[in-house]
Amino acid sequence: MTNRAAVLLVAVGFLLSARSVVAHHSFAAEFDASKPIKLTGAVTKYEWTNPHAWIYIDAKDEKTGEVANWGFELAAASGLMRQGWTRLTLKAGDVVTIEGTRAKNGTNNANAQTVILASTGKKLFAGANTPTP
Amino acid sequence: MKRPFTVLVSAVIVAALSSSLSAQWPLYSKPGVPKGADGKPNLKAPAPRTPDGKPDLSGIWMRTNRTEAPGTAPAGQPPLATFGDIGYGFKEGLPYRPLASDLVKKRAGALDNPDALCLPQGPLEYHLDPQPREIIQLPRKIVIVYESNYGLRTIYMDGRPLPKQGEPQPYWHGYSVGHWEGDTLVVQSNNFRGALTGLPGDGWLDGKGDPFTDALTLTERFHRVNFGNLQIDVTIDDPKAYTRPFTVRVEQEIVADGSEMIEFICHENQKFLKLTGREP
Repeated sequence: MTNRAAVLLVAVGFLLSARSVVAHHSFAAEFDASKPIKLTGAVTKYEWTNPHAWIYIDAKDEKTGEVANWGFELAAASGLMRQGWTRLTLKAGDVVTIEGTRAKNGTNNANAQTVILASTGKKLFAGANTPTP
Repeated sequence: MKRPFTVLVSAVIVAALSSSLSAQWPLYSKPGVPKGADGKPNLKAPAPRTPDGKPDLSGIWMRTNRTEAPGTAPAGQPPLATFGDIGYGFKEGLPYRPLASDLVKKRAGALDNPDALCLPQGPLEYHLDPQPREIIQLPRKIVIVYESNYGLRTIYMDGRPLPKQGEPQPYWHGYSVGHWEGDTLVVQSNNFRGALTGLPGDGWLDGKGDPFTDALTLTERFHRVNFGNLQIDVTIDDPKAYTRPFTVRVEQEIVADGSEMIEFICHENQKFLKLTGREP
């Protein structure tokens, strides 16, 4: 079996058994579900950590043209691993488009739902911190 | 079904993107996994047993994602609890005393959720967290290692009695003793720290903040239905917080693909206090 096929099987196996990536923290305490956000920019830092992984990007404001650094919270690294992410999935300089939800405190932070890699157009599920029943 | 489908499609994409398995932990299939005619793990096979004939609960377990609308639990079965709200299945809500309802109001917004603060979770948060837990069944004790927040519980199986409430130092995880009633493992626990310590993250049963106090006696009935499925009926008997005991059900399924628990160091990169404006 090729490595690629093995990874595919692992990822699909987990998902077919309906395991979700998780929500470690209280979504409502940190993020405002009524404020969706979508930004594109180059990765400046990729923190492969628990309780959450983080992606930082330099994103240009479409109106002002100003570039600002934004942080996006993902699921826990442990949960992302179960979905096929690794510490090597992203590196500084990769251009990504991230969709998520803004932080309540108005800072340049958000949680991430999906990450699209510009180089391939592939969409990755970020296992964002969403409310669980 | 939108979300699981999105997850599936995305994961396949992630997987297809991955060019190397070097960053993944290898899978080693575990001995004793029953296989069906198709060669896949047969989750409906009978539960394994230890040499003394008792069901062997050992294994890595994931909570199931099944939910039940409030009031729809089949007759004779306790309502299914959820991670966020253990009382979700009760149409009439949980039988709060004023102390409990006041605490639930105070905890709205979940800023003090021990899970979010990387503190030990409450007993039901541990059972219901989407991260797995591993049961290690030994002859004189059963150990449960929870991946989430690295919880660790010891259930003494050597016949010792449950200590008097208030005698040993209260623990976050309580003091647990177990015995077998037929094929059901019955675990009783008391001497929990609970919500009256003054620490806001103490005494949470779920993400919503349903409380427990130092008066809690917890009874958990573990039943390994078959190879793949574990039911845990949990009775909360806490006369300081609730007007009567109540029971909820937890469902878990075995991890049979050879994957293992994953290290989870919660304070490695904790930003919860910062994001909620309580730390610069």
